Amino acid sequence: MKLPFLILPWLAVAVFGATPPEKHVTAFFEQHCNKCHNEKKQKGDLRLDNLAVDFSSPKIMGNWEETMNRINSGDMPPEKEKRPKPEDIASVADWIAGQLREAEAVRQATGTDKVAFLKLTREEYANTIRDLLGVTFDVKGAAGLPEDPDWKGFERIGSVLTLSPAHVEKYLAAAEMVLDEALSLRPEPKRELVAWAAWDMRWKGFQKEYEARGIADQVRIEIVPNNYTTDTWNLDVKTTGDYLVRVKLSGLRPEGGRAPRLKVYLSNVDKTIIEQDVDAAEDKPVTIEQRVHLIAGKYPVRIINSVPGPNPEGRRSRHSGTPNAFTNTRSRVPWQIKLTDDNFKPIQPTLILDRVEWDGPIVDSWPTATHQRIFSSSDAREIVSKFAERAWRRPVRSDEVDRLMKLVEKAQSLGDNLEGSVRMALVAVLSSKSFIYLEEGSTKTPSPTLSDSELASRLSYFLWSTMPDERLLELARSGKLHAPDTLRAEVKRMLADPKSQAFADSFPRQWLQLRRVGMFPPDKILYPDYDDNLEHSMVAETLAFFADVLRRNGSLREFLDSDWTMLNERLATHYGIGGIRGDEMQRVSLTPEQHRGGLLTQGSVLSLTSDGTRHRPVHRGVWVLDAIIGKPAPPPPANVPALSTPAPDQKKTTVREKLEQHRADPNCTACHTKIDPLGIAFDNYDALGRWRTVETVKDGVGTDPKLDASGTLSDGRSFKDAADLKKLLLGDTDKFAAALTDKLTTYALRRGMTFSDREELKRIAEQAKADDYRLSSLVEYFVMSPLFVKR
Amino acid sequence: MNILSQRWLLNRRHFLRGLGATVALPLLDAMIPMRASAAAAAKPKRSVFVYIPNGVNGMTWQCAKSGRDYELSESLKPLAKHKGDFTVFSGLHHPNGLGQAHVCADTWLTGAKIDAQSGRKYENTISADQVMAEAVGTQTRFSSLELSISSGTGHPFGTNTLAFSRDGVPLPAEDNPKTIFNRLFGEEPGGIAAQRTRLAKRRSVLDEVFDDASALRRELGKYDRTKLDEYLHAVRDVEQRTERLDAWLDVPKPKVDNKLAAPFQRDVPKAQAGEYWRTMFDIIVLALRTDMTRVVTYMNGSEGNGLAIPEIGITQARHNLSHHNGDPVVLERLATSDAFIMQQFAHFLGELTAVKDGDESLLDRTMVLFGSGMSYGHSHANSNLPILLAGGRGIGLKHGQHLDYNRPHLKDDYTLSYEEWRALCGKPKDEKARLNNVLITMLQKMDVKAEKFVDSLGTVSEIL
Repeated sequence: MKLPFLILPWLAVAVFGATPPEKHVTAFFEQHCNKCHNEKKQKGDLRLDNLAVDFSSPKIMGNWEETMNRINSGDMPPEKEKRPKPEDIASVADWIAGQLREAEAVRQATGTDKVAFLKLTREEYANTIRDLLGVTFDVKGAAGLPEDPDWKGFERIGSVLTLSPAHVEKYLAAAEMVLDEALSLRPEPKRELVAWAAWDMRWKGFQKEYEARGIADQVRIEIVPNNYTTDTWNLDVKTTGDYLVRVKLSGLRPEGGRAPRLKVYLSNVDKTIIEQDVDAAEDKPVTIEQRVHLIAGKYPVRIINSVPGPNPEGRRSRHSGTPNAFTNTRSRVPWQIKLTDDNFKPIQPTLILDRVEWDGPIVDSWPTATHQRIFSSSDAREIVSKFAERAWRRPVRSDEVDRLMKLVEKAQSLGDNLEGSVRMALVAVLSSKSFIYLEEGSTKTPSPTLSDSELASRLSYFLWSTMPDERLLELARSGKLHAPDTLRAEVKRMLADPKSQAFADSFPRQWLQLRRVGMFPPDKILYPDYDDNLEHSMVAETLAFFADVLRRNGSLREFLDSDWTMLNERLATHYGIGGIRGDEMQRVSLTPEQHRGGLLTQGSVLSLTSDGTRHRPVHRGVWVLDAIIGKPAPPPPANVPALSTPAPDQKKTTVREKLEQHRADPNCTACHTKIDPLGIAFDNYDALGRWRTVETVKDGVGTDPKLDASGTLSDGRSFKDAADLKKLLLGDTDKFAAALTDKLTTYALRRGMTFSDREELKRIAEQAKADDYRLSSLVEYFVMSPLFVKR
Repeated sequence: MNILSQRWLLNRRHFLRGLGATVALPLLDAMIPMRASAAAAAKPKRSVFVYIPNGVNGMTWQCAKSGRDYELSESLKPLAKHKGDFTVFSGLHHPNGLGQAHVCADTWLTGAKIDAQSGRKYENTISADQVMAEAVGTQTRFSSLELSISSGTGHPFGTNTLAFSRDGVPLPAEDNPKTIFNRLFGEEPGGIAAQRTRLAKRRSVLDEVFDDASALRRELGKYDRTKLDEYLHAVRDVEQRTERLDAWLDVPKPKVDNKLAAPFQRDVPKAQAGEYWRTMFDIIVLALRTDMTRVVTYMNGSEGNGLAIPEIGITQARHNLSHHNGDPVVLERLATSDAFIMQQFAHFLGELTAVKDGDESLLDRTMVLFGSGMSYGHSHANSNLPILLAGGRGIGLKHGQHLDYNRPHLKDDYTLSYEEWRALCGKPKDEKARLNNVLITMLQKMDVKAEKFVDSLGTVSEIL
């Protein structure tokens, strides 16, 4: 059901007061509920004849929710009473669900607070540290920050992000750590090269002999899949910093098979620093180089061939019986496993490793550039004040600097020199509320719109997920940023900047809830092909697809259907599309027979809506309603019984058939006629998003049943399969554009949208429509709208 | 300096200063004479919470008979040796948890109402272990210890930790035995003087950011500062922790001898599930016997990460097993997996029994709550939760029975059929049989002054 616009005038009042429910709801109550829940008789302490909507009262909204759940589950009205019609239940439940969402969004809105505090996500925190101090903070590492909670996939909703004492401890420790790395308050680190040759890594005992034979330089290490997965070599990192890791190796790909895959993994901190396919002939090794940030400490390093498959070395798994060191694939003795066929063509995806180098720490200058910039003055007050202004992304007041200067004095009394004592004040700057939170609003000069500094931050954290750069801060300082021409030019500049990759990654991840990909890992028995590479590639397709549309300023329609997508070899193989090589995502043209195109039939979306054992049409439908149609389904009633398993002698049935029996209950029908068709349309894709025409069913007798992906939408339009449904959705691009705009604004403004935003949202969507629904234009219209500067 | 000093109250640290070099473990039992002389130190009370995800196979878990002369079910047989040391519950539930899915781990110890389905704002409340930590936490170096199969906090509706602060904020857990060991027993770099300077600086920084935030807070209205208050509370809390760290600086950490420490100095892959679980249980025992903490939460598995157990041929993760769809083969695997987990739990109880704490065992002075927030995983049902309470006899708990709240509402004996199991889990037979009744019982035993925990209706008199 649509939330009608005609109820807006009195809904707008609802924030601070109570309003009666809509007529059809009141009528429903009169007919089915009020007899037992009225002024005189209040069964279950609930009175419905006068229940009004009050967004500010959690108790009243709780009553509404309870009412919805009871009606929805068929608990109420009680069995002896007359059953309401399913469509009436649906419309009442829908209306209540809409009110509950509205109430939640109102609670998230910050405009009524004098000052709103919106915590940086951990990703934003790390990016801000990078831009402020020029060092990497490994936010997911052991010394990193806890994962942020999300609200419907959005990880940056101000009211949802919480702060625990553990956060404060981590912020303090992080501040000390990043400042120590960024400033030159320690002895200059010496860049060193640690090299591991084949001798060091495996063949120690053979070295003398091979030197004597004059072939010491030919020795290499062969690594077949899943072998040596637990062997480690110890890396001792003396100084925290950036290191160049170089791996020289060959990678033999068997004909028609997968390339071997190099994985360099630090087991004690569970960190993968390199993972990629290697395609390089035995006599033409390549060198892979990666810049990584390493924290001082000892690390057991594993170097693994992570292409999945059984370990061809089997149980033996070790070279105990090896008579000699490995030099080439032709020199195998009979009891060693074969790496090639008789024509010396590889039969295993095999890595042949020559050398690993660790080169660093890489320091561009000493003292560091950051050190030179921060200590450009000898006046502690000036240093601290300038740093705070940048870190807090706003002008600082003198009383704030006074407080920080007390710390400098304290540190000096403890024996610190100028730099040491300033460092302590900088730790405080980085642990302060003004750094950790985006502050919006002021107690001194209340305003319904953002100040220019606040605008600079909102814009920057929206498109870059990091602090404003010097230019934005300067425009804010001089009060020019909000001027339409300036703002428009800035959006264009920011979208063109490489930093906008943060938006191209984070927004689709949150909008489409990609965090759920792999949350319940697929069953290894049912899906033996599933590996990390596939999981990453699925997400990478969706992100690369979004980025491509954004960069080209393509139309939102492409999200619904397209004749192209972004694939790498792993995912193309998974989809059964040939001719794609390598790890990199590349643009691939599609034909209809490949059954892909748009977001809805991408592996990521199809698997995040499955549960690891089978596809879930209902989950898929709920996801489409939320992400694409923008009309989230009401929550399900409690404890729905499981789909039945047919007795062993019964015919095999599809999930769809089981669902249909299950849905015979009229209480379920009401919502499920809306949800299920949108999921069933994708029944031709299994739990991992592979195309199929029959469903593999374990229980029952007979052949596996044929799939039927046809259906009828709640508005009566029918479709025969997913491709057909996409066409119907394309006909409804307005609805999709409205849904996407809602998601985009939620992401940028860090709160759910309420009725008071709806007029603005409509206008933005109309502008986008007039501009052929182009994506970056939509972003621009939104930034230019009054909604963007609204507090 | 000896281990037991840890248990002495902080104001004794001046006395302890200068007692000199560390002595390797033997642990608690060697210290009886010292404790006698330090009569002020009351006997410690401890609590451990162990969570397993996704429910169990109820057909093999359910004990058929009730009362004192009950028989252990198939899944519980590994605990036979300890039968006198625990109580099996049937029919318990969290009223707020009914009809929820995997949020059941988030609320196992909080009992909060969180609606996972509608994606409503996530607001949890304080967990029982943290209420205990507030009461007894100052007696030890660490007020509580949070352990889990996965480190960090996880995410709402998919938590990696059982512990939630007074503000309902999840407290990050540790998953690596080596990291936990080093946190408990590792030496701080730079010696006491350097540490003290570092902590002094840290406190100054905390004072500054606190003053800065409270200056703004004074300008804000009463209803206008929840997020800022959260920040202020957190900073205040860290200040107190910093003060405590400072106070404990003069009390040397116990020295664990190399043989005992060795198992915690290697990486234990989670692919070796049994080995990993035993190592985690062992480090809990070590933390308790050295009195580093008295409150421990441990997620043996999270809802999304219940390990496969390759060593007994179970290659499916627990979540997949729990969506068995009634398939007898999968249910059999789930039962095998349950029994295997109970073997590891029996190992834990065995270790706690073997360590003496004065004239009692460590188990006698430690209450251990074991169980899940889900019962019938396939449709996410949360009634009739699998729950055991072990230990704590020295604190006043009575054990050795099957306390069955379903029993009075059953017409016949349990049939242990699939349909019966599913029905029992769908809806509570006795709506007064609340898990929070068990939690309030434990809380009171830990000297928490409270009559009620969330929706508890009273203590469980049968075990008192």
